[in-house]
Amino acid sequence: MTVANMYKEKGSNPYRPWPARITSIIDLTENERLFELRIIDESVREGFQFESGPFVELSIFGVGEAPISISSAPSKQGFIELCVRNAGDVTGALHGKKCGDIVGVRGPFGRGFPFQEMKGHDVLLVAGGLGIAPLKSLINHIHDDRHDFGNVSILYGARDPSEILFRYQFDMWKHRDDFDLILTVDEADETWGDEVGRVTALFDMIDIDPDNTYGAICGPPVMYRFVIDEMRKKEMDVDKIYMSFERRMKCGIGKCGHCGVGHQYACIDGPVFNYWEAMNLQEAI
Amino acid sequence: MAPRVVVVSLASDFGCQVQMTNIEDDLLDVLGLIDLSYWQLASSGHMPAEYDVAIVEGAVTTEEHVELLKRIRSVADVVMVIGACAVTGGIPAMAGEGDLEQRFAYVYGTDGANVARGRISPGPVKRIIGVDYEVPGCPIDTAEFLRVLSHALQGLANRLPQEPLCAICKTKENVCLFDKGQICLGMFTRTGCGARCVSLGRPCTGCRGLAADANVESAMKILAEKGYDIDEVTERLAVFNTREEVFSR
Amino acid sequence: MFFRVMDTSRLPDLVRGLSRDHEVIGPVAKEERFVFAAIDDPADLRLDYDTTLLPPKKLFFPPEDQMMRFRVADNEVLDDEVFAAPRVLLGLHPCDINALLLMDNIFLKDYVDPYYKARRDTTLVVGISCVPTEDCFCNSLGTDEAHWGFDIFLTDLGDRYFVSVRSVKGAELLDDFVETREITDADTAAFQRVTRERKDKFTQDVDTSQLPLLLDAKFDSPVWDELGERCLSCGACSMVCPTCYCFNVRDDLAPDQKTGTRTRLWDSCQFSEFAAVAHGQNFRESRASRVKYRYYHKQWGYLSKFERVLCVGCGRCSTACAADITPREVIAALAKGGVE
Repeated sequence: MTVANMYKEKGSNPYRPWPARITSIIDLTENERLFELRIIDESVREGFQFESGPFVELSIFGVGEAPISISSAPSKQGFIELCVRNAGDVTGALHGKKCGDIVGVRGPFGRGFPFQEMKGHDVLLVAGGLGIAPLKSLINHIHDDRHDFGNVSILYGARDPSEILFRYQFDMWKHRDDFDLILTVDEADETWGDEVGRVTALFDMIDIDPDNTYGAICGPPVMYRFVIDEMRKKEMDVDKIYMSFERRMKCGIGKCGHCGVGHQYACIDGPVFNYWEAMNLQEAI
Repeated sequence: MAPRVVVVSLASDFGCQVQMTNIEDDLLDVLGLIDLSYWQLASSGHMPAEYDVAIVEGAVTTEEHVELLKRIRSVADVVMVIGACAVTGGIPAMAGEGDLEQRFAYVYGTDGANVARGRISPGPVKRIIGVDYEVPGCPIDTAEFLRVLSHALQGLANRLPQEPLCAICKTKENVCLFDKGQICLGMFTRTGCGARCVSLGRPCTGCRGLAADANVESAMKILAEKGYDIDEVTERLAVFNTREEVFSR
Repeated sequence: MFFRVMDTSRLPDLVRGLSRDHEVIGPVAKEERFVFAAIDDPADLRLDYDTTLLPPKKLFFPPEDQMMRFRVADNEVLDDEVFAAPRVLLGLHPCDINALLLMDNIFLKDYVDPYYKARRDTTLVVGISCVPTEDCFCNSLGTDEAHWGFDIFLTDLGDRYFVSVRSVKGAELLDDFVETREITDADTAAFQRVTRERKDKFTQDVDTSQLPLLLDAKFDSPVWDELGERCLSCGACSMVCPTCYCFNVRDDLAPDQKTGTRTRLWDSCQFSEFAAVAHGQNFRESRASRVKYRYYHKQWGYLSKFERVLCVGCGRCSTACAADITPREVIAALAKGGVE
């Protein structure tokens, strides 16, 4: 039984976090770590199914909960990876945990990227800063089914080289010819051999087939408008440009009201919306 | 190692320290978490040179207080201020309105200068040093004190509620005192007390200070339209808030 | 549905009978206003009340609601059960019955909220006809009648109640505890007359028909800035609203810091931190944007999902707002393009 059905059919208390053990912690940058979690209950662990893009509510009793998008691919069975910036009480408390410690997880919640629909097409992924976290799930998922996709391009920008996440993996991928990967930073240092400038400037470097390309965007709120402009200049369809929104998803299940975006809730109607939907959401971008 | 805590008092009536003793049932549990190195109300010894957390009660009224606070800030990792006097300046800060020397002369006569040496215009602790945690109110609420202390020990953010009192007052099903023609400072005042006074039939005196979310300008306008004396409202707000704070909003 | 007639003098029998196996909750006086409270003596019941300070949502979704107890060391839940005793909510007006049906859409669909559900499942609802007050506009929203959401509904015909029975449980209770009789044509005629007279008493007529469109088309209207300047951001409107369901969650540790409780608390989209995220971004920083969101969500957001607006026209927010911001005024201002 999937977790969604446990909630929706079996009536499991959706506010009750499942204990999960931290199985690995990798320092990605000064402020960001990649946590690998293993849900302790076997049936929940096996029912934890999702498409790339959803999030979990990370729950640390005594501190609270925070929505964190899932960075691992759905195909990675038995473990969940969360890329977490130390930015508040809950994420700070998580950063204070060690391997073997137990935290709580609720989810997966929310609508992800339309993976099945994207199959057979080219994909252009654009990430800014921490926005790579949910896209990493999609990238890995595409990687697993690489032959089902056409060209796959990844444009990823960060403030400076120290803030490039998953650099070890990207360095590896740069040598592959089945991914077009371009990295850029606003401010380079002597270690940097890639591009310098905004992620939007990278659009000049790529060729896309607008009728056959899906876009996937995630980054800081200010980034969306500019990236969408570039995609529209390339004549990509409004309903093939997908983006993930960060809002204050507190309950994760469409009750608490905090993540309202326009007439929708980011937690259940999103967090991934296509551009046509986003254009119809007031104050979305 | 349990954090070493000192409790010191500036100008106040020690009411908030007395509130701390009223924790009673939970006091032993709390004392199990900390190393209470010094408590001005209950200790006969001197304040130690080293400590981790300083809990400060009372308003700053003298040069000596200023020096003490600067020393505390340089030693303590965490400074927690408790009670209206320390958080907003409270009642002592009323003496800071207008000409302080004139006021002293009025109260203490012509040799007033010798009564309180090194006096400065009274105000809140945050006027002198940075503050990490605040427990507002006159006196403090013991449950809130415990919650903030717990947050301080866990290193969580200082989270004072931002909104005015009216919402929680509605949940208590109090009949709005404005509907009865009384001046209640609830729409100006930081929530978190559970609307205790209004639930007992008394208007809010504003002891928790101005709420960050309060729309002071609009509230004044509304009160004026409804025929309330704005000077009186301001006067009442100035009891627990400094006038400059009220007017700056 | 079937119908009976009951003498008003029999009401105490009904209350006493219901009290045998249920806690009976109904409107009682509090100073010059009313509140829903436990009825110990049938004489305390004030079915002639106008409206209550808080709506009945407080009985299903309390202002402070403990969700679970936990242990810190292994992040384990110790207890997440909700204890709900059998209750009868006696004396709900149609607006409040309809409001509960709107809340049901949120709390009982998809991810079922176990705390709300437990209390809803064990509570019977007995409705009572009302007399419109100067702030109500339920007639404009089609919530002035309740067709669902009650077990029994009493329409006051003066000396007798016209009793509508909706559920098996309602029929049984009526049968067990109170003497009723079959309706006659005269009763039905009286019912029709009373209903018509009531309809004539509404003083408000709020046209909400174009609202979803207007909310989008005039999203940048200066009306919102004017309202934002006035709004006190106090959240009173959300608290007294029978359909506002937003909440915040707070963890509290026991004094020994080893165990604790997770509690949810009523929240309001009018508070500055409502839409702020951890990184410091606040999606609705201005008062104007928050006032606007409350209307946008109620009159369009909810409607887009459930085909009803999230307002029953009970008028409580109009009464509670010290700044006199009322749905009537907001809707009219939006249509005209300015606050009067």
